[in-house]
Amino acid sequence: MANRAGAQRPNGATQGKICQFKLVLLGESAVGKSSLVLRFVKGQFHEYQESTIGAAFLTQTVCLDDTTVKFEIWDTAGQERYHSLAPMYYRGAQAAIVVYDITNQDTFGRAKTWVKELQRQASPNIVIALAGNKSDLSNKRMVEYEEAQAYAEENSLLFMETSAKTAMNVNDIFLAIAKKLPKNEGGGAAQPRQQGMKINNSETSQASEGGCCK
Amino acid sequence: MDEEYDVIVLGTGLKECILSGLMSTDGKKVLHMDRNTYYGGESASLTPLSQLFDHFKQPAPVDDKYGRPRDWNVDLIPKFLMANGKLVQLLVYTGVTRYLEFKSLDGSFVRKTDGKLHKVPADEREALSSSLMGLFEKRRFKKLLSYCQSLDLDNPAAKNKDDKKIDPDNLDATQLYTEFGVDKNTQDFTGHAIALFLNDDYLHKNCKELIRRIQLYSGSLARYGKSPYLYPLYGLGELPQGFARLSAIYGGTYMLGKTVDELVMEDGKVVGVKSGGEVAKTKMVICDPSYVPHKVKKTGRVVRAICILKGKVEGVNNSESLQIIIPQNQVDRKNDIYICVLSNQQCVTAKGFYLGIVSTTVETSDPEGELQIGIDILNGKDKSNIAEKYVWYSLIITP
Ligand SMILES: Nc1nc2c(ncn2[C@@H]2O[C@H](COP(=O)(O)OP(=O)(O)O)[C@@H](O)[C@H]2O)c(=O)[nH]1
Ligand SMILES: [Mg+2]
Repeated sequence: MANRAGAQRPNGATQGKICQFKLVLLGESAVGKSSLVLRFVKGQFHEYQESTIGAAFLTQTVCLDDTTVKFEIWDTAGQERYHSLAPMYYRGAQAAIVVYDITNQDTFGRAKTWVKELQRQASPNIVIALAGNKSDLSNKRMVEYEEAQAYAEENSLLFMETSAKTAMNVNDIFLAIAKKLPKNEGGGAAQPRQQGMKINNSETSQASEGGCCK
Repeated sequence: MDEEYDVIVLGTGLKECILSGLMSTDGKKVLHMDRNTYYGGESASLTPLSQLFDHFKQPAPVDDKYGRPRDWNVDLIPKFLMANGKLVQLLVYTGVTRYLEFKSLDGSFVRKTDGKLHKVPADEREALSSSLMGLFEKRRFKKLLSYCQSLDLDNPAAKNKDDKKIDPDNLDATQLYTEFGVDKNTQDFTGHAIALFLNDDYLHKNCKELIRRIQLYSGSLARYGKSPYLYPLYGLGELPQGFARLSAIYGGTYMLGKTVDELVMEDGKVVGVKSGGEVAKTKMVICDPSYVPHKVKKTGRVVRAICILKGKVEGVNNSESLQIIIPQNQVDRKNDIYICVLSNQQCVTAKGFYLGIVSTTVETSDPEGELQIGIDILNGKDKSNIAEKYVWYSLIITP
């Protein structure tokens, strides 16, 4: 999934390298997955978030000191609603944000199931973040911060409470993921896997193996 | 679910998923259901490996005997995609290729009467050194190929450059072969290993279908690799998933694990689908034949053997993924025997193991025996390469 980019110096050192990662969103319907993406990518929020996304994935970059991390963000497109997400969805994902709604205890329970599913199905080195969304509705809170944090620690997940509505912690959680992703050659997040080719209109490109830049 | 849809699709096989993908992008409101909890129906790739054994009601192997079980994605009916074919064009056109990665096959082989396997040449160099035919025959064959390639079938007025006054409208395939003086062997090879006809019925039909298929083959050749055939990484089951995602992105609703109780009819017309006490309204239902068992008939049978192989197939220049065609003429049959070998290159087997599938249309009362030639090729000289083998049948059904 990751493509090489960035200028390759003759001596082998890369300057201003760009790393691309596939990031997937998971979580119960209506917890605010699409809203988080929309906030992060376009800086917008809609009270009535449309379910149709009309795009294969959205991209957004995060700048770290010496690297630009480009996220290829996959939304579920509503396929989580009746438990109809395809395995293809998390294939090759190097990062995932599992979202629950802090005002709904059930969604936290479901989030734990998604984490298990990822640990079972996805690449072994996938970076997982847990997002307790709708933190602006803390007066209706049903999931305690401490409870979620303890769970996240036990499972080595990044954890933040977020609000797509107020933008609180939205950029931060993506930034935290960007920092945790391995950006050196060979230290890819994806398990070493077969190299396939991508087919597009006119030309083909070899997808590079493993996690990141070369 | 208690809503009204423009169309309800039942079953998530490839065809159904392509349709719902196209209809959703076209702005239609689509509900797509499947009784299974996974995508693909009959065409789902079986994973982990224990699913393959479950399918044949066999105990699953213990101790990761065949590598990591998760690395297996087994297609019971493997099919290769022609690099220039309609399906690949559709994948590119709809953007579904963004969700997929492919691997091209190492090679395609054809078995001649001498019992040896010959590589179908993939380029000029291979063609020159090929053991398939003699020098003069090669020239005649090359002329036939260049004639087919230069012909513009959609524009019959445009005449072929070195016009031999051939009129494809009035020739059948045999007559076309005769025009170029190619021998029986070359005809077999061209018709079955290049044009991929399953039997010899095409010989007495207009030659344009043959020409079209040769053009498809030439156009696909070396487009993305060493052979004209592509295979999706992780198996064919990725294809319906890709089209389903396309549909969902444009608002299609997906429900897996949903049994359909009945189609609701009014005045002989379908008006909805009933499932779990709820009715989804619609004016149109599209479904695979298994959802309406009484409305289809069977027209033939295909026998297949699926084998787990411990090593590479012999006599195929070390190819790891390949197709072998045994033209029917070579073995006194009416239908060709096909062998397909896939490997870890396509992410369908665990490292070091191979999957071999032999298939043909049933002609006798001993269908398994009809596959023997293919089985022998997979098993190798020592008759020990096959670790597991299951034989099964599928009906050819038509509405
Ligand atoms: N108050 C509040 N509402 C939110 C927040 N995020 C999403 N929503 C609302 O929750 C509903 C579902 O959001 P959506 O993004 O479609 O959820 P998805 O099904 O997980 O993609 C929408 O009405 C959103 O406006 C949030 O942080 N705070
Ligand atoms: Mg959504």
